[in-house]
Amino acid sequence: MSFQTVTRMLLGGFAENGFIFIMTLLMALPLGLVITFGSMSSVRPVKWLTRTFVWIIRGTPLMLQLFVVMYVPGLLFDVQMPDHMFGIPVNPRMYSALIAFVINYAAYISEIYRGGIESIPKGQYEAGQVLGMTRGQIFFKVVLMQVVKRIIPPMGNEIITLVKDTSLARVIAVQEILWIAEEFTAKGIIWPLFYTGVYFLVFCGILTLLFGYIEKKLNYYRG
Amino acid sequence: MAILEVRNLKKNFGDTQVLKGVGFTLEKGEVLAVIGSSGSGKTTLLRCLNFLETPDCGEIIVNGETLFNSDSRSSKSDVEIRKKRLHFGLVFQSFNLFPQYTLLKNVSLAVELLARERGDYKQNKSEILREIGASAREILERVGLSDKLDAYPFQLSGGQQQRVAIARALALKPEILCFDEPTSALDPELTGEVLKVIRGLKSSERTMIVVTHEMEFARNVADKVIFMADGLIEEEGTAEEVFDRPKSQRTKAFFTNYKKS
Ligand SMILES: Nc1ncnc2c1ncn2[C@@H]1O[C@H](COP(=O)(O)OP(=O)(O)OP(=O)(O)O)[C@@H](O)[C@H]1O
Ligand SMILES: [Mg+2]
Repeated sequence: MSFQTVTRMLLGGFAENGFIFIMTLLMALPLGLVITFGSMSSVRPVKWLTRTFVWIIRGTPLMLQLFVVMYVPGLLFDVQMPDHMFGIPVNPRMYSALIAFVINYAAYISEIYRGGIESIPKGQYEAGQVLGMTRGQIFFKVVLMQVVKRIIPPMGNEIITLVKDTSLARVIAVQEILWIAEEFTAKGIIWPLFYTGVYFLVFCGILTLLFGYIEKKLNYYRG
Repeated sequence: MAILEVRNLKKNFGDTQVLKGVGFTLEKGEVLAVIGSSGSGKTTLLRCLNFLETPDCGEIIVNGETLFNSDSRSSKSDVEIRKKRLHFGLVFQSFNLFPQYTLLKNVSLAVELLARERGDYKQNKSEILREIGASAREILERVGLSDKLDAYPFQLSGGQQQRVAIARALALKPEILCFDEPTSALDPELTGEVLKVIRGLKSSERTMIVVTHEMEFARNVADKVIFMADGLIEEEGTAEEVFDRPKSQRTKAFFTNYKKS
């Protein structure tokens, strides 16, 4: 097996990881905000339902959640995942994987948002209030930028964890990079398995640089 | 007619009565100094006036218009409270500047947001914003910060930050400007510059309420002094009356303690 062939085949697998990564971020970032508002709601039942949900999602393994999304709809409700996405044919298991990842990551991200929002001193809201701002103006003009600055470091952490978690999709037979590499080991070739680490390292390295850049951009003020 | 009339204001936090029936009147252009020991309810009084707390009882009347009356449960909609708030301005002990904005933006932000509600905002947007910017510059110049318009709050000393906070409150042209211990978060050598700015604001057009522990300042600047104890006004009068001829034992004891420390 030549180096080029392996590189190309692993890259094909890593495209699946990248796809899960992008789609999860695109959906979990906004969904997380909705969950945050739920868990900070002044309506008690909404708040406690949301927090229980977050507790369950964060308190059980992502791998278990993948199995649940994979098997439960079919076994209990006879629902089949579609086999195409945006008109492009895909492995139906990709749907299951994405549902599990989005829900899981939205729960974690919602806690990052909540931590950021709650870390803003009360005085910032009160300053906005006595200056006659509306609640919306206070949130968008006063608080939001400060929250963004504060959540960039934990968000960077979470997103880098996501890169590596994408390989968990293999447990429901999504043919991501580790799945491909493991097929080589069945043929007695072991080095591609270790070679996959390079893909993750490079990708996470780029993300680290990106987050470092954003942090630096936001460093023009303190507080 | 008095510009501000406060009647029988009461406020509880849980079981603790913090304000037990505070009432006073203030004429336009007067400076009221509120003194009193820690925990006597001075901050709570200012917070009630600025609608950051809702009193349990009492009335707040500005220019003859009843802004708050505990008997008639007026609607507490965001819009209405916002309108009422604009009669007052509040300068906090801890400044509470917006860290992500320059000084200029700190001062002009609220005015710009308010201007959006004007009917002619869309047509004259650029002109309106230019005027707001110019007047923000002017106000910052008044508090001695015209050379720092583009600085961020973290780059300033505490005294400078508090002067920006004063400018920010002034920008909305409140009828009654309140200060909650504006200098107690500052190093002693910085209090002078802030007090000087506040003194300079005194005019026949501007009514001010200053909660302070700076007795010299209160004596020199205030037209009227209130000494608060345990949620009540213990003594009230001109600066000379309260400082030189206090009637109440508690007031006397307070000054004796104050001189010792
Ligand atoms: N949000 C609150 N919840 C409960 N108790 C409060 C609250 N705000 C103030 N208090 C209590 O009310 C009392 C009066 O507080 P306040 O801050 O008005 O006093 P103060 O005269 O401003 O004191 P200081 O000189 O220390 O600033 C204090 O005993 C305080 O603990
Ligand atoms: Mg106080």
